[in-house]
Amino acid sequence: MKPDSGRFDVAVIGGGSAGLAAAISAARNGARTLLVERHGCLGGMGTASLVHTFCGLYLLREEPGAVIANPGFCEEIATLMTQATGRGPLRMGRLDVLPQHPVEFVGIADGLIASEPLIELRLHTVVTGVSRDADGWEIRLAGCAGAHVVRARSLVDASGDAVVADFLGGAFSIAPPLSLQRPAYVFGVHGPVALDEELRLRTAGLLVEGVRSGALHAAALGLSFRNSGRPCEFFGTLDLDGGDAAADYDPLDPACLGRLETHGRAIAASAVRWLCGHDAHWRGSYISHWPVRAGIRESRRWLGGYTLTGDDLASGRRFEDEIALATWPMEFRETAKGPKLRYPQDNRPAGIPLRCLKPAGIGRLFVAGRCISADHEAQASIRVMGTCFATGEAAGRAAAKAASSP
Amino acid sequence: MRVTKTTPPNPTDLIDWLNHEGLLELDWDFPEDGDLAAAGLDSMAVMQLVVAVEDCFGLELGPDDLTRANLATPKALAALLAAKMS
Repeated sequence: MKPDSGRFDVAVIGGGSAGLAAAISAARNGARTLLVERHGCLGGMGTASLVHTFCGLYLLREEPGAVIANPGFCEEIATLMTQATGRGPLRMGRLDVLPQHPVEFVGIADGLIASEPLIELRLHTVVTGVSRDADGWEIRLAGCAGAHVVRARSLVDASGDAVVADFLGGAFSIAPPLSLQRPAYVFGVHGPVALDEELRLRTAGLLVEGVRSGALHAAALGLSFRNSGRPCEFFGTLDLDGGDAAADYDPLDPACLGRLETHGRAIAASAVRWLCGHDAHWRGSYISHWPVRAGIRESRRWLGGYTLTGDDLASGRRFEDEIALATWPMEFRETAKGPKLRYPQDNRPAGIPLRCLKPAGIGRLFVAGRCISADHEAQASIRVMGTCFATGEAAGRAAAKAASSP
Repeated sequence: MRVTKTTPPNPTDLIDWLNHEGLLELDWDFPEDGDLAAAGLDSMAVMQLVVAVEDCFGLELGPDDLTRANLATPKALAALLAAKMS
Protein backbone atom coordinates (compact mmCIF):
# COMPACT_ATOMS: atom_id res chain seq x y z
CA MET A 1 0.00 0.00 0.00
CA LYS A 2 1.43 3.36 -1.07
CA PRO A 3 1.70 6.01 1.62
CA ASP A 4 -0.25 9.15 0.88
CA SER A 5 0.69 12.51 2.24
CA GLY A 6 -2.96 13.45 2.45
CA ARG A 7 -3.98 14.82 5.82
CA PHE A 8 -7.36 16.45 6.01
CA ASP A 9 -9.56 18.06 8.60
CA VAL A 10 -12.64 16.35 7.22
CA ALA A 11 -13.11 13.38 4.89
CA VAL A 12 -16.51 12.81 3.28
CA ILE A 13 -17.32 9.37 1.94
CA GLY A 14 -19.73 9.53 -0.99
CA GLY A 15 -20.40 12.40 -3.38
CA GLY A 16 -24.17 12.15 -3.70
CA SER A 17 -26.50 14.95 -2.68
CA ALA A 18 -25.58 14.57 1.02
CA GLY A 19 -21.83 14.19 0.47
CA LEU A 20 -21.70 17.15 -1.91
CA ALA A 21 -23.49 19.34 0.64
CA ALA A 22 -21.30 18.02 3.47
CA ALA A 23 -18.02 18.72 1.65
CA ILE A 24 -19.07 22.23 0.59
CA SER A 25 -20.29 23.04 4.06
CA ALA A 26 -17.15 21.66 5.76
CA ALA A 27 -14.93 23.68 3.40
CA ARG A 28 -16.94 26.85 3.97
CA ASN A 29 -16.44 26.31 7.68
CA GLY A 30 -12.68 26.37 7.12
CA ALA A 31 -11.93 22.65 6.96
CA ARG A 32 -9.46 21.18 4.52
CA THR A 33 -11.81 18.57 3.07
CA LEU A 34 -11.43 15.38 1.09
CA LEU A 35 -14.46 14.21 -0.92
CA VAL A 36 -14.35 10.60 -2.14
CA GLU A 37 -16.72 9.38 -4.86
CA ARG A 38 -16.79 6.03 -6.65
CA HIS A 39 -18.19 7.36 -9.96
CA GLY A 40 -16.76 9.91 -12.39
CA CYS A 41 -19.16 12.66 -11.36
CA LEU A 42 -20.94 13.89 -8.27
CA GLY A 43 -24.67 13.83 -7.58
CA GLY A 44 -25.31 10.16 -6.78
CA MET A 45 -28.95 9.23 -7.23
CA GLY A 46 -29.59 12.58 -8.94
CA THR A 47 -27.00 11.94 -11.64
CA ALA A 48 -25.83 8.32 -11.81
CA SER A 49 -29.37 7.02 -11.23
CA LEU A 50 -31.17 9.75 -13.21
CA VAL A 51 -33.59 10.59 -10.38
CA HIS A 52 -34.89 13.83 -11.87
CA THR A 53 -36.88 15.47 -9.07
CA PHE A 54 -35.63 17.19 -5.93
CA CYS A 55 -38.19 16.22 -3.29
CA GLY A 56 -38.23 17.50 0.29
CA LEU A 57 -37.00 21.01 -0.54
CA TYR A 58 -40.27 22.73 0.32
CA LEU A 59 -42.69 22.96 3.20
CA LEU A 60 -45.89 20.98 2.94
CA ARG A 61 -48.73 23.47 2.65
CA GLU A 62 -52.21 23.88 1.22
CA GLU A 63 -51.59 27.40 -0.05
CA PRO A 64 -50.07 27.78 -3.51
CA GLY A 65 -46.41 28.75 -3.80
CA ALA A 66 -43.40 26.69 -2.82
CA VAL A 67 -41.55 27.74 0.36
CA ILE A 68 -38.04 26.41 1.04
CA ALA A 69 -38.00 24.39 4.27
CA ASN A 70 -34.27 24.58 4.99
CA PRO A 71 -32.44 27.77 4.04
CA GLY A 72 -28.77 27.54 3.13
CA PHE A 73 -27.47 24.90 0.76
CA CYS A 74 -30.97 23.73 -0.26
CA GLU A 75 -31.87 27.21 -1.35
CA GLU A 76 -28.54 27.66 -3.14
CA ILE A 77 -28.87 24.46 -5.15
CA ALA A 78 -32.55 25.14 -5.94
CA THR A 79 -31.59 28.56 -7.32
CA LEU A 80 -28.72 27.15 -9.38
CA MET A 81 -30.93 24.37 -10.77
CA THR A 82 -33.72 26.76 -11.68
CA GLN A 83 -31.21 28.99 -13.47
CA ALA A 84 -29.85 26.00 -15.37
CA THR A 85 -33.15 24.44 -16.43
CA GLY A 86 -35.42 27.46 -16.52
CA ARG A 87 -37.92 25.46 -14.47
CA GLY A 88 -39.14 26.41 -11.02
CA PRO A 89 -41.02 24.36 -8.46
CA LEU A 90 -44.04 22.32 -9.57
CA ARG A 91 -47.00 21.21 -7.50
CA MET A 92 -47.68 17.52 -7.97
CA GLY A 93 -50.84 16.56 -6.11
CA ARG A 94 -50.29 18.05 -2.63
CA LEU A 95 -46.52 18.30 -2.97
CA ASP A 96 -44.14 20.94 -4.27
CA VAL A 97 -41.08 19.52 -6.02
CA LEU A 98 -38.27 20.95 -8.10
CA PRO A 99 -37.73 19.16 -11.41
CA GLN A 100 -34.01 18.74 -11.91
CA HIS A 101 -31.94 17.58 -14.85
CA PRO A 102 -29.13 15.11 -14.10
CA VAL A 103 -26.87 16.67 -16.76
CA GLU A 104 -27.28 20.10 -15.17
CA PHE A 105 -26.75 18.63 -11.71
CA VAL A 106 -23.35 17.28 -12.75
CA GLY A 107 -22.37 20.74 -14.01
CA ILE A 108 -23.66 22.51 -10.91
CA ALA A 109 -21.71 20.14 -8.66
CA ASP A 110 -18.53 20.68 -10.73
CA GLY A 111 -18.97 24.44 -10.43
CA LEU A 112 -19.56 24.33 -6.68
CA ILE A 113 -16.50 22.17 -6.06
CA ALA A 114 -14.32 24.33 -8.31
CA SER A 115 -15.16 27.39 -6.22
CA GLU A 116 -14.02 25.77 -2.97
CA PRO A 117 -10.19 25.68 -2.84
CA LEU A 118 -10.26 23.76 0.45
CA ILE A 119 -11.90 20.72 -1.18
CA GLU A 120 -9.84 17.96 -2.71
CA LEU A 121 -12.04 15.75 -4.87
CA ARG A 122 -11.13 12.13 -5.55
CA LEU A 123 -13.40 10.64 -8.18
CA HIS A 124 -13.16 7.00 -9.27
CA THR A 125 -12.14 6.10 -5.74
CA VAL A 126 -13.70 3.73 -3.28
CA VAL A 127 -13.16 3.48 0.45
CA THR A 128 -12.12 -0.01 1.50
CA GLY A 129 -11.86 0.54 5.24
CA VAL A 130 -11.54 3.06 8.04
CA SER A 131 -10.13 2.93 11.53
CA ARG A 132 -10.15 5.35 14.43
CA ASP A 133 -7.23 6.25 16.69
CA ALA A 134 -6.53 9.01 19.21
CA ASP A 135 -5.69 11.53 16.48
CA GLY A 136 -8.64 10.85 14.19
CA TRP A 137 -9.34 8.62 11.22
CA GLU A 138 -7.26 6.50 8.92
CA ILE A 139 -9.10 5.99 5.64
CA ARG A 140 -8.09 3.34 3.13
CA LEU A 141 -8.81 4.26 -0.48
CA ALA A 142 -8.55 2.23 -3.66
CA GLY A 143 -8.59 3.23 -7.30
CA CYS A 144 -7.17 1.88 -10.55
CA ALA A 145 -3.70 3.11 -9.54
CA GLY A 146 -3.75 1.07 -6.35
CA ALA A 147 -4.40 1.60 -2.69
CA HIS A 148 -3.74 4.70 -0.59
CA VAL A 149 -4.15 5.71 3.00
CA VAL A 150 -5.22 9.20 4.02
CA ARG A 151 -5.94 10.72 7.40
CA ALA A 152 -8.66 13.05 8.56
CA ARG A 153 -9.65 14.51 11.92
CA SER A 154 -13.39 14.08 11.26
CA LEU A 155 -15.27 11.67 9.05
CA VAL A 156 -18.64 12.01 7.36
CA ASP A 157 -20.41 8.87 6.17
CA ALA A 158 -22.50 10.04 3.23
CA SER A 159 -22.24 6.69 1.49
CA GLY A 160 -26.00 6.07 1.53
CA ASP A 161 -25.24 2.52 2.63
CA ALA A 162 -23.68 3.32 6.03
CA VAL A 163 -20.46 1.67 4.87
CA VAL A 164 -18.56 3.05 7.86
CA ALA A 165 -20.93 1.17 10.18
CA ASP A 166 -20.00 -1.99 8.31
CA PHE A 167 -16.24 -1.25 8.47
CA LEU A 168 -16.33 -0.52 12.18
CA GLY A 169 -18.79 -3.21 13.12
CA GLY A 170 -20.90 -0.25 14.29
CA ALA A 171 -24.57 -0.32 15.12
CA PHE A 172 -26.86 -0.31 12.12
CA SER A 173 -30.20 -1.68 11.12
CA ILE A 174 -31.63 -2.92 7.85
CA ALA A 175 -35.23 -3.79 7.03
CA PRO A 176 -36.09 -7.35 5.98
CA PRO A 177 -35.92 -7.91 2.19
CA LEU A 178 -39.68 -7.73 1.56
CA SER A 179 -40.03 -4.46 3.50
CA LEU A 180 -37.07 -2.61 1.97
CA GLN A 181 -38.13 0.19 -0.35
CA ARG A 182 -37.87 -1.11 -3.90
CA PRO A 183 -35.23 0.35 -6.22
CA ALA A 184 -36.15 2.52 -9.21
CA TYR A 185 -34.61 2.03 -12.63
CA VAL A 186 -34.67 5.34 -14.51
CA PHE A 187 -33.63 5.65 -18.15
CA GLY A 188 -33.63 8.36 -20.82
CA VAL A 189 -35.95 8.17 -23.80
CA HIS A 190 -35.99 10.17 -27.01
CA GLY A 191 -39.69 10.19 -27.63
CA PRO A 192 -42.94 11.78 -28.67
CA VAL A 193 -43.11 15.50 -29.21
CA ALA A 194 -45.54 16.06 -26.34
CA LEU A 195 -46.36 13.66 -23.55
CA ASP A 196 -49.59 15.20 -22.31
CA GLU A 197 -52.03 13.69 -19.85
CA GLU A 198 -54.07 11.98 -22.58
CA LEU A 199 -51.00 10.29 -24.04
CA ARG A 200 -49.80 9.35 -20.58
CA LEU A 201 -53.07 7.52 -19.90
CA ARG A 202 -53.11 6.01 -23.35
CA THR A 203 -49.56 4.80 -22.76
CA ALA A 204 -50.68 3.17 -19.52
CA GLY A 205 -53.43 1.40 -21.49
CA LEU A 206 -50.98 0.28 -24.17
CA LEU A 207 -48.64 -1.18 -21.56
CA VAL A 208 -51.48 -3.07 -19.90
CA GLU A 209 -52.47 -4.40 -23.33
CA GLY A 210 -48.89 -5.52 -23.90
CA VAL A 211 -48.87 -7.37 -20.59
CA ARG A 212 -52.32 -8.85 -21.23
CA SER A 213 -51.23 -10.15 -24.64
CA GLY A 214 -48.14 -11.77 -23.14
CA ALA A 215 -45.77 -9.57 -25.17
CA LEU A 216 -44.58 -7.66 -22.10
CA HIS A 217 -43.43 -8.83 -18.68
CA ALA A 218 -45.85 -7.94 -15.86
CA ALA A 219 -43.13 -5.68 -14.41
CA ALA A 220 -43.88 -3.25 -17.27
CA LEU A 221 -46.88 -2.21 -15.13
CA GLY A 222 -44.36 -0.44 -12.91
CA LEU A 223 -43.30 1.90 -15.73
CA SER A 224 -44.14 5.58 -16.02
CA PHE A 225 -42.82 8.42 -18.19
CA ARG A 226 -42.13 12.07 -17.47
CA ASN A 227 -40.87 14.97 -19.57
CA SER A 228 -37.28 15.92 -18.83
CA GLY A 229 -37.96 19.58 -19.56
CA ARG A 230 -36.04 19.34 -22.82
CA PRO A 231 -37.79 18.85 -26.17
CA CYS A 232 -38.42 15.21 -27.07
CA GLU A 233 -36.51 13.94 -24.03
CA PHE A 234 -38.23 11.84 -21.37
CA PHE A 235 -37.39 9.76 -18.39
CA GLY A 236 -38.91 6.36 -17.97
CA THR A 237 -39.08 5.15 -14.37
CA LEU A 238 -39.52 1.51 -13.57
CA ASP A 239 -39.96 0.36 -10.00
CA LEU A 240 -38.38 -3.05 -9.60
CA ASP A 241 -39.90 -5.34 -7.01
CA GLY A 242 -37.51 -8.19 -7.66
CA GLY A 243 -40.31 -10.40 -9.05
CA ASP A 244 -40.09 -14.01 -7.92
CA ALA A 245 -36.84 -13.18 -6.15
CA ALA A 246 -38.40 -10.31 -4.11
CA ALA A 247 -37.71 -12.17 -0.88
CA ASP A 248 -34.01 -12.25 -1.74
CA TYR A 249 -33.67 -8.55 -2.53
CA ASP A 250 -30.38 -7.25 -1.14
CA PRO A 251 -29.35 -3.73 -2.14
CA LEU A 252 -25.85 -4.37 -0.77
CA ASP A 253 -25.20 -7.43 -2.92
CA PRO A 254 -23.68 -6.49 -6.29
CA ALA A 255 -24.89 -9.73 -7.85
CA CYS A 256 -28.47 -9.06 -6.77
CA LEU A 257 -28.35 -5.46 -7.96
CA GLY A 258 -26.81 -6.49 -11.26
CA ARG A 259 -29.56 -9.02 -11.87
CA LEU A 260 -32.24 -6.44 -11.11
CA GLU A 261 -30.62 -3.89 -13.40
CA THR A 262 -30.28 -6.38 -16.26
CA HIS A 263 -33.93 -7.28 -15.76
CA GLY A 264 -34.87 -3.58 -15.67
CA ARG A 265 -33.12 -2.92 -18.97
CA ALA A 266 -34.85 -5.85 -20.66
CA ILE A 267 -38.29 -4.69 -19.47
CA ALA A 268 -37.65 -1.08 -20.44
CA ALA A 269 -36.35 -2.01 -23.89
CA SER A 270 -39.28 -4.30 -24.66
CA ALA A 271 -41.80 -1.74 -23.39
CA VAL A 272 -40.40 1.08 -25.52
CA ARG A 273 -40.31 -1.23 -28.56
CA TRP A 274 -43.92 -2.21 -27.90
CA LEU A 275 -45.05 1.42 -27.63
CA CYS A 276 -43.20 2.28 -30.87
CA GLY A 277 -44.98 -0.47 -32.72
CA HIS A 278 -48.46 0.19 -31.33
CA ASP A 279 -48.99 3.90 -31.23
CA ALA A 280 -48.35 6.64 -33.77
CA HIS A 281 -47.21 9.10 -31.08
CA TRP A 282 -44.47 6.76 -29.93
CA ARG A 283 -43.24 5.74 -33.38
CA GLY A 284 -39.53 6.40 -33.79
CA SER A 285 -38.86 6.58 -30.04
CA TYR A 286 -35.81 4.96 -28.56
CA ILE A 287 -33.96 4.61 -25.28
CA SER A 288 -31.27 7.27 -25.37
CA HIS A 289 -29.38 6.41 -22.17
CA TRP A 290 -29.19 4.01 -19.29
CA PRO A 291 -28.39 4.97 -15.72
CA VAL A 292 -25.00 4.12 -14.26
CA ARG A 293 -26.85 2.30 -11.50
CA ALA A 294 -30.35 1.59 -10.21
CA GLY A 295 -31.81 4.14 -7.79
CA ILE A 296 -31.50 2.58 -4.35
CA ARG A 297 -33.95 3.98 -1.84
CA GLU A 298 -32.98 2.14 1.31
CA SER A 299 -30.26 -0.11 2.66
CA ARG A 300 -28.38 0.07 5.99
CA ARG A 301 -29.40 2.76 8.47
CA TRP A 302 -27.04 3.91 11.23
CA LEU A 303 -28.24 3.72 14.81
CA GLY A 304 -27.20 7.01 16.37
CA GLY A 305 -27.76 8.94 19.55
CA TYR A 306 -31.41 9.18 18.54
CA THR A 307 -33.41 7.20 16.00
CA LEU A 308 -36.04 9.29 14.26
CA THR A 309 -39.35 7.40 14.05
CA GLY A 310 -42.37 7.32 11.80
CA ASP A 311 -44.45 8.64 14.69
CA ASP A 312 -42.10 11.64 15.05
CA LEU A 313 -42.68 12.40 11.38
CA ALA A 314 -46.43 11.80 11.50
CA SER A 315 -46.88 14.16 14.45
CA GLY A 316 -44.41 16.78 13.26
CA ARG A 317 -42.28 16.44 16.39
CA ARG A 318 -39.67 19.14 16.98
CA PHE A 319 -36.35 18.82 18.85
CA GLU A 320 -34.07 21.16 20.78
CA ASP A 321 -31.06 20.01 18.79
CA GLU A 322 -32.73 19.85 15.38
CA ILE A 323 -30.52 20.71 12.43
CA ALA A 324 -33.02 20.50 9.59
CA LEU A 325 -36.68 19.96 8.83
CA ALA A 326 -38.10 16.87 7.18
CA THR A 327 -41.06 17.87 5.04
CA TRP A 328 -41.56 15.05 2.57
CA PRO A 329 -44.39 12.64 3.50
CA MET A 330 -43.30 9.11 4.29
CA GLU A 331 -43.28 7.61 0.81
CA PHE A 332 -43.48 3.83 0.87
CA ARG A 333 -42.31 1.95 -2.17
CA GLU A 334 -42.34 -1.53 -0.74
CA THR A 335 -43.99 -2.88 -3.88
CA ALA A 336 -43.70 -1.81 -7.52
CA LYS A 337 -47.34 -0.64 -7.53
CA GLY A 338 -46.62 3.04 -7.04
CA PRO A 339 -46.08 5.02 -3.85
CA LYS A 340 -48.15 4.92 -0.68
CA LEU A 341 -47.87 8.26 1.08
CA ARG A 342 -48.32 8.94 4.78
CA TYR A 343 -48.73 12.64 5.50
CA PRO A 344 -47.97 14.36 8.81
CA GLN A 345 -50.73 15.81 10.93
CA ASP A 346 -51.67 19.31 9.74
CA ASN A 347 -48.79 19.28 7.21
CA ARG A 348 -46.33 19.84 10.04
CA PRO A 349 -42.62 19.47 9.33
CA ALA A 350 -40.61 17.36 11.75
CA GLY A 351 -37.22 18.27 13.15
CA ILE A 352 -34.17 16.09 12.53
CA PRO A 353 -32.01 16.16 15.68
CA LEU A 354 -28.24 16.37 15.39
CA ARG A 355 -28.15 13.11 17.40
CA CYS A 356 -29.46 11.29 14.28
CA LEU A 357 -26.23 12.35 12.54
CA LYS A 358 -23.94 11.12 15.33
CA PRO A 359 -23.35 7.42 15.80
CA ALA A 360 -23.38 6.70 19.51
CA GLY A 361 -20.02 6.51 21.25
CA ILE A 362 -17.79 7.23 18.21
CA GLY A 363 -16.23 10.68 18.32
CA ARG A 364 -15.76 12.89 15.26
CA LEU A 365 -17.97 10.69 13.09
CA PHE A 366 -21.06 12.09 11.41
CA VAL A 367 -23.65 10.67 9.05
CA ALA A 368 -25.60 12.41 6.31
CA GLY A 369 -28.18 11.46 3.72
CA ARG A 370 -30.44 8.45 3.53
CA CYS A 371 -28.51 6.36 6.08
CA ILE A 372 -28.85 8.67 9.11
CA SER A 373 -30.33 7.21 12.27
CA ALA A 374 -34.03 6.78 11.41
CA ASP A 375 -36.37 3.83 11.48
CA HIS A 376 -37.75 2.28 8.29
CA GLU A 377 -40.82 4.56 8.33
CA ALA A 378 -38.96 7.82 8.98
CA GLN A 379 -36.33 6.86 6.39
CA ALA A 380 -39.15 6.83 3.82
CA SER A 381 -39.26 10.63 4.27
CA ILE A 382 -35.69 11.68 5.03
CA ARG A 383 -34.15 9.72 2.11
CA VAL A 384 -35.16 12.31 -0.52
CA MET A 385 -32.48 14.53 -2.03
CA GLY A 386 -33.90 17.81 -0.70
CA THR A 387 -33.53 16.50 2.86
CA CYS A 388 -30.15 14.88 2.08
CA PHE A 389 -28.78 18.32 1.10
CA ALA A 390 -29.89 19.62 4.50
CA THR A 391 -28.50 16.76 6.59
CA GLY A 392 -25.31 16.89 4.50
CA GLU A 393 -24.86 20.59 5.16
CA ALA A 394 -25.36 20.05 8.90
CA ALA A 395 -22.99 17.07 9.02
CA GLY A 396 -20.27 19.02 7.16
CA ARG A 397 -20.57 21.94 9.55
CA ALA A 398 -20.49 19.68 12.62
CA ALA A 399 -17.52 17.71 11.23
CA ALA A 400 -15.54 20.91 10.58
CA LYS A 401 -16.25 22.14 14.08
CA ALA A 402 -15.24 18.81 15.64
CA ALA A 403 -12.02 18.76 13.56
CA SER A 404 -10.90 22.11 14.95
CA SER A 405 -11.61 21.24 18.58
CA PRO A 406 -9.00 19.34 20.61
CA MET B 1 -60.73 -17.63 -6.71
CA ARG B 2 -62.37 -14.25 -6.90
CA VAL B 3 -65.99 -13.91 -7.83
CA THR B 4 -66.45 -11.60 -10.76
CA LYS B 5 -68.92 -8.85 -10.00
CA THR B 6 -71.69 -8.70 -12.56
CA THR B 7 -73.36 -5.42 -11.69
CA PRO B 8 -71.62 -2.11 -12.28
CA PRO B 9 -70.69 -0.23 -9.10
CA ASN B 10 -72.32 3.08 -8.28
CA PRO B 11 -69.88 5.94 -7.67
CA THR B 12 -69.93 5.53 -3.87
CA ASP B 13 -69.23 1.81 -4.06
CA LEU B 14 -66.51 2.56 -6.54
CA ILE B 15 -64.78 4.88 -4.04
CA ASP B 16 -64.84 2.04 -1.47
CA TRP B 17 -63.60 -0.39 -4.06
CA LEU B 18 -60.68 1.87 -5.09
CA ASN B 19 -59.64 2.06 -1.44
CA HIS B 20 -60.19 -1.64 -0.83
CA GLU B 21 -58.03 -2.59 -3.80
CA GLY B 22 -55.30 -0.30 -2.50
CA LEU B 23 -55.37 1.70 -5.73
CA LEU B 24 -55.97 5.03 -4.00
CA GLU B 25 -56.39 6.32 -0.50
CA LEU B 26 -59.55 8.40 -0.70
CA ASP B 27 -61.18 10.07 2.29
CA TRP B 28 -64.50 8.61 3.41
CA ASP B 29 -66.19 11.78 2.23
CA PHE B 30 -64.43 11.93 -1.15
CA PRO B 31 -67.06 13.43 -3.50
CA GLU B 32 -68.50 11.51 -6.47
CA ASP B 33 -67.27 14.26 -8.73
CA GLY B 34 -63.92 14.62 -6.93
CA ASP B 35 -60.74 14.87 -8.98
CA LEU B 36 -59.19 11.38 -9.15
CA ALA B 37 -56.01 12.57 -10.85
CA ALA B 38 -55.36 14.99 -8.00
CA ALA B 39 -56.07 12.13 -5.58
CA GLY B 40 -53.21 10.15 -7.08
CA LEU B 41 -54.66 8.33 -10.09
CA ASP B 42 -51.55 8.75 -12.20
CA SER B 43 -50.49 6.56 -15.10
CA MET B 44 -49.03 3.93 -12.77
CA ALA B 45 -52.19 3.75 -10.70
CA VAL B 46 -54.22 3.57 -13.92
CA MET B 47 -52.34 0.44 -14.93
CA GLN B 48 -53.10 -1.15 -11.56
CA LEU B 49 -56.71 -0.02 -11.99
CA VAL B 50 -57.03 -1.74 -15.37
CA VAL B 51 -55.67 -4.97 -13.92
CA ALA B 52 -58.03 -4.76 -10.92
CA VAL B 53 -61.05 -3.98 -13.11
CA GLU B 54 -60.27 -7.05 -15.17
CA ASP B 55 -59.93 -9.20 -12.05
CA CYS B 56 -63.04 -7.95 -10.27
CA PHE B 57 -65.43 -7.10 -13.04
CA GLY B 58 -64.15 -9.22 -15.90
CA LEU B 59 -63.90 -6.09 -18.05
CA GLU B 60 -60.99 -5.35 -20.37
CA LEU B 61 -60.24 -1.64 -20.56
CA GLY B 62 -58.15 -0.71 -23.59
CA PRO B 63 -56.10 2.36 -24.50
CA ASP B 64 -59.17 3.98 -26.12
CA ASP B 65 -61.12 3.72 -22.85
CA LEU B 66 -58.40 5.39 -20.82
CA THR B 67 -59.16 9.00 -21.57
CA ARG B 68 -58.93 11.84 -19.13
CA ALA B 69 -62.70 12.30 -19.27
CA ASN B 70 -63.43 8.66 -18.42
CA LEU B 71 -61.05 8.67 -15.46
CA ALA B 72 -61.73 12.17 -14.17
CA THR B 73 -64.10 11.35 -11.28
CA PRO B 74 -65.66 8.35 -9.50
CA LYS B 75 -68.88 9.23 -11.36
CA ALA B 76 -67.17 9.17 -14.77
CA LEU B 77 -65.34 5.94 -14.01
CA ALA B 78 -68.54 4.25 -12.77
CA ALA B 79 -70.25 5.32 -16.00
CA LEU B 80 -67.40 3.84 -18.04
CA LEU B 81 -67.68 0.52 -16.22
CA ALA B 82 -71.47 0.49 -16.63
CA ALA B 83 -71.13 1.20 -20.35
CA LYS B 84 -68.55 -1.58 -20.78
CA MET B 85 -70.78 -4.02 -18.90
CA SER B 86 -73.89 -3.41 -20.91
